[in-house]
Amino acid sequence: MRRQFQPFASGGRRTIVGILVTFALFSALSVTLSIWTTKGSQHRAAVVEVAARQRTLAERYVKEILLARAGARVDPQQTASVMAASAGALLNGGTAPAVWGDDDETTLPAASGTVVRRQLEQERRLVSDLQATGSSVLAGRPVAAVRLRAHEHLKATSPIDRLRVLSALTSNVSLNAARTIAAADDQNVNHLIIVQAVLGALGLLVSLALGWVLIVITRRKTEHFRSLVISSTDLVLVLGPDGCRYAGHSVGALVGKDESALLGYGYEAFVHLDDRPALRSAAAHGGPREVVFRMRDQSGEWRRLESHLTDLRQDRLVRGVVLNSRDITERVELERQLTHQAFHDTLTGLANRALFRDRLEHALAHSERSGQRLAVMLADLDGFKQVNDSLGHDAGDQLLREVGRRFSRTVRASDTVARFGGDEFAFLLENVTNEEVIGLARRLLDQLALPIVTGGRDVALGASIGIVLHTAPGSTSEELISQADVAMYAAKDSGRGRYELYCPEMAKEVGELLEIEQELRLGLQRGEFSLHYQPELDLESERIVGAEALLRWQSPTRGLVSPARFIPIAETNGLIVALGEFVLRQACTQAAEWRKAGLVADSFVTWVNVSAKQLDRHGFQTVVQQALAEAGLPAGALGIEVTESTIIERGAATDHARAELADLHRQGVHIAIDDFGTGFSSLGQLRHFPIDMIKVDYSFVQGAEHDAKDAAITANLVNLAHALGIVAIAEGIESPGQLSSLQSLGCDLGQGYLLGRPMPPDQLEGFLSQRRSRLVDGKAVA
Amino acid sequence: MRQRFSLLGLLSVLAAIVVFASACSGGGQNAAGGATVVRVNERDFRITVSPARIHAGNVQLVVHNGGPDTHELILVRSRARLPLRADGLTVDERVLEHVTAASVDGAGPGAVRRDWLHLSPGRYELFCNMAGHFMAGMQAELVVE
Repeated sequence: MRRQFQPFASGGRRTIVGILVTFALFSALSVTLSIWTTKGSQHRAAVVEVAARQRTLAERYVKEILLARAGARVDPQQTASVMAASAGALLNGGTAPAVWGDDDETTLPAASGTVVRRQLEQERRLVSDLQATGSSVLAGRPVAAVRLRAHEHLKATSPIDRLRVLSALTSNVSLNAARTIAAADDQNVNHLIIVQAVLGALGLLVSLALGWVLIVITRRKTEHFRSLVISSTDLVLVLGPDGCRYAGHSVGALVGKDESALLGYGYEAFVHLDDRPALRSAAAHGGPREVVFRMRDQSGEWRRLESHLTDLRQDRLVRGVVLNSRDITERVELERQLTHQAFHDTLTGLANRALFRDRLEHALAHSERSGQRLAVMLADLDGFKQVNDSLGHDAGDQLLREVGRRFSRTVRASDTVARFGGDEFAFLLENVTNEEVIGLARRLLDQLALPIVTGGRDVALGASIGIVLHTAPGSTSEELISQADVAMYAAKDSGRGRYELYCPEMAKEVGELLEIEQELRLGLQRGEFSLHYQPELDLESERIVGAEALLRWQSPTRGLVSPARFIPIAETNGLIVALGEFVLRQACTQAAEWRKAGLVADSFVTWVNVSAKQLDRHGFQTVVQQALAEAGLPAGALGIEVTESTIIERGAATDHARAELADLHRQGVHIAIDDFGTGFSSLGQLRHFPIDMIKVDYSFVQGAEHDAKDAAITANLVNLAHALGIVAIAEGIESPGQLSSLQSLGCDLGQGYLLGRPMPPDQLEGFLSQRRSRLVDGKAVA
Repeated sequence: MRQRFSLLGLLSVLAAIVVFASACSGGGQNAAGGATVVRVNERDFRITVSPARIHAGNVQLVVHNGGPDTHELILVRSRARLPLRADGLTVDERVLEHVTAASVDGAGPGAVRRDWLHLSPGRYELFCNMAGHFMAGMQAELVVE
């Protein structure tokens, strides 16, 4: 594992400790040696002194012998004994006796060293010989008889001469022993000096080596640290009381100048004016720990630097505040973008729901305090889904962006425009009057009415706008948005392309709608829906040639609910697709049963109503084919009724619907246009559309008997059908007069309460039996 | 190659032994340069000379002090009796100065000193003149023929 670089790690400290320990060891060794040597020298000095004293004693002994012989009162034996005791102490250690009037007793160590010991042994022998000879002289015995132990071969025969020679020999050997000891001491001292010198040299060498190692380590680490600092992407500045004391290479690179240009107060030329006081304050006070400031880089752009401050003003080597800075410009920008994204709609750039709510809450708080009015508007684009489905999502997105731009241009600068998602926009208007809000809603609608080019087409949109004015204190943002939503649905329900001001009654209606919507879903699951069939008769033969399947909802709570009540709700929430599929499958099954039972002719056509939303969904054709196949019903026994608007008014969406219907028509399915005459059918388009029948709207039929205009319209519609080679059927025939009028106009088929009310299948079966329906030949509907 | 080195090493050792042995050979034999080696052993209190009789000519005097005391050596052409100083303990060297052939300074026990001299035929006295040593018996005779 690689060791992490540590600029001031234990390596240097270890070396310093090593140097100190080496010094300590060598010093301790040196001192110990000195003490030992000094101690030894002290002992040896005493030995030398005693050894030298032996010479004196030997000479004194001879004098005392001579004096004793001359009758003087001297005690040469005592001198001899002192001399002998001293010789013994010198050789084997012990106490050398004091010499009267001369010195004190001296304790000596045993002699060491072969040479010294031999000399001292010789001395002791000579002392013994001297003492023996002296004793013989004093006793008057012949000295030649004295047995000499020190191997002397004395030439002299005179006792005194023999004594003097022996004394000289004793003196000589004592002196030489003392010299040998002193020489040994000198040698020891010399050795000590040499050892001390060697130790000193070694210590010096070791210390120098360790010092060199320390220098190398420190230099390497310093170089390493320097390279780290220089190559670091961090921007390092040291600010002191006199401005910038140090600027890192990175800082120079950032501003495009040499670092020296930043020294002193040169750096301030690159620091944003607003940030200079903060830096000066940081340099003066050593804090705070974090500072963010801006520096202008070499391209002139402001870079935002986040700095960590280290107060080293007390450090003699630095004497300043160290700023380690990182360029966080990109990060800040990213955060700004993320914040913007979190509160803005990415498609239009408008505020999103979160930001809108936040601003609304602030506005509410302000409104509560100031008493100023505010308004919330919600706008839902009418027909946007069709544009999106038919022209594609790109075109839809383009449309939404343009709508956003127009809305933004239309409101005041202080207003907030938001997109809640899909085609729903929200407006927050502060300090407004009712008139201003309504005026704005109108202008918004006017803006939308101007065509928008998208997907290669001009598209004009409408919007349903709900407005709520904040008047009651205590309302929450949630409540206001919800109320605006209710008003918007009311506008949509009232015919779209308009605005509605919220009133409490709307909430009830919306609540009712929501309940019905919920019950519709449950009803479909619980099988509360059924089909009634209203017969269609040939007006000439009065035979039943077909039946229109009509959806009925038997709610357990509401009873029989009118289609006029629940179909629009189902259209709004998309449930119409599931309901339409139910109708299709049920009608096919029922028709197949009738055909199987022989109750209807092969040409009998069962008609079902299909909404634009069903056709808009891809796969409608497949659904029809599956329903036919599952029921075993031929395609020619099924008819599909669509409104004019479904195939003509919806622009691009119509292309898809037309294609689906054309395919089904080619497979034999009959196509009829319902409520014909109430829309704005293009006759040119109608001519090319594959239809088999038009159903003249009941409003014309009911007036045909007494109103000349209605009669004329009905006649023209019938003639138009005939001109196109298709069948005309009049719906809503309720009186014999109407029936006879239509018969006189040449209308082919009829439908209405007069001819037969919508009825359950079993009743229709009875009805069929009663009327003994006859088969209609192929030309009637084919 | 290794055997060759071993052989060379052995020869070197043998050569060294031979040289050392010749250097340490007994007195009387000619040393390098033709000088006669005279070995003088001093000890308390006796001097021995080997050989005690030599031919005239160059002489290498090898003086060894066997101790235990310090000894010197003086070589003088012999006279009937060596004169003593007034103290009666040492020989009066000044009187013998003109007949002194060699004077080896005193040295401690174990010391070996050498001196080169040319001796003409005659009788020579060797003695240690440290206080009392001559009188204690440190005297020997060398005859040069």
